[in-house]
Amino acid sequence: MRYERSEKRESAGRRFDERFIEILDQVRGKRPYDALVAYSGGKDSTYTLKLLKERYKLELLAVTVDQGFVSSAALENIKTVTERLDIDHYMVRPGSAALRALFRNSMTIDVYPVKALERASAICNSCMNVVKSLLIKMAVEMRIPTVVYGWSPGQAPLRSSVFKTNAPMLKKMNETTAAWFNTLVGDRLSGFLLEDRHFAAPEKDPYPFIIHPLAFLEYDERHILDEIRTLGWNVPEDTGSHSSNCLLNDFAIAEHLERFGFHPYAFEIAGLVREGCMAREEGLERLSARPGAAYLARVRSLLEGETE
Amino acid sequence: MNTASTIRQFIVENFVFEDGGSLAEDTSFLESGIMDSTGVLELVSFIEETFAIAVADEDLVPENLDSIGRVTRYIESRRGE
Repeated sequence: MRYERSEKRESAGRRFDERFIEILDQVRGKRPYDALVAYSGGKDSTYTLKLLKERYKLELLAVTVDQGFVSSAALENIKTVTERLDIDHYMVRPGSAALRALFRNSMTIDVYPVKALERASAICNSCMNVVKSLLIKMAVEMRIPTVVYGWSPGQAPLRSSVFKTNAPMLKKMNETTAAWFNTLVGDRLSGFLLEDRHFAAPEKDPYPFIIHPLAFLEYDERHILDEIRTLGWNVPEDTGSHSSNCLLNDFAIAEHLERFGFHPYAFEIAGLVREGCMAREEGLERLSARPGAAYLARVRSLLEGETE
Repeated sequence: MNTASTIRQFIVENFVFEDGGSLAEDTSFLESGIMDSTGVLELVSFIEETFAIAVADEDLVPENLDSIGRVTRYIESRRGE
């Protein structure tokens, strides 16, 4: 059974699309890069890169944060796609011991708001906060006017899909994230955060727009896969059932399920089903998938630093 | 229901998940760990739909959005326009 987006939702989506086009027309060509794109190698961020390059004709800098759990197949996809699209690309590898500690401690130390844990596991929240902090910092330092993510429609609210950051907002977000990181790993990740100097001249407004276009554009997984296959992207077979790039994702889901009793993607998948982006039966099937014991044991020992 | 009560009810039902009577009007949502930045935008969406006002990007600042009291004052200032 497949639902359809309501007219109200369609109308809201069109308004965000119009705002997106306005912003692009405002920023295009003024700096070496029009957009800094969080590129995980997964299907949604790959499709986002393709759209930004081919449909919207933007100059892009793609950034991948390899948190130690990006699959070999995803790394291959990243190389293939960035070469095929001829996109400048940075690969950032934070210190592995710090990230393993971050992910381990996320499982036992509660820092995130309850609402954040409805959208993703604590481990995924930690990973996303590393990525978001780094990309905002890079955009501010390099004066890149937009930061773009490839989040699917259910992953974040529509209202968050296009907005302009500012100094007071970023300062507060930075303080909050710093407090979380400090609780989890001390000051080990402070290099990923904005510093006082980034707020020294707010009138120059180096602060980017945040955009995740898949929230308001047409979203059809089959169409997305067809499109990105033309770039040489292949479906990884080593990432489990909920990710097309990350080896940690299924483990994080299993840990969340055990700790809180619900699937962290239940709300996202319900959102995709309600908006007609996924059939209800498929959503239920995805929510029932469980990883094997051998996989869980392997990831746990990777997190403990026991195996490479 | 007045503006502050409407905001309180939304926050309690969507972010606090327990007795919200103890949530002070000046408690910072971000500092107290009630919400993260995405949650703030969910709040903005609620404000726009419930009170029929468009929150401009330049109004997305903690001064306007980071407590029940601040949100209430912001909404009332906009409605007074």
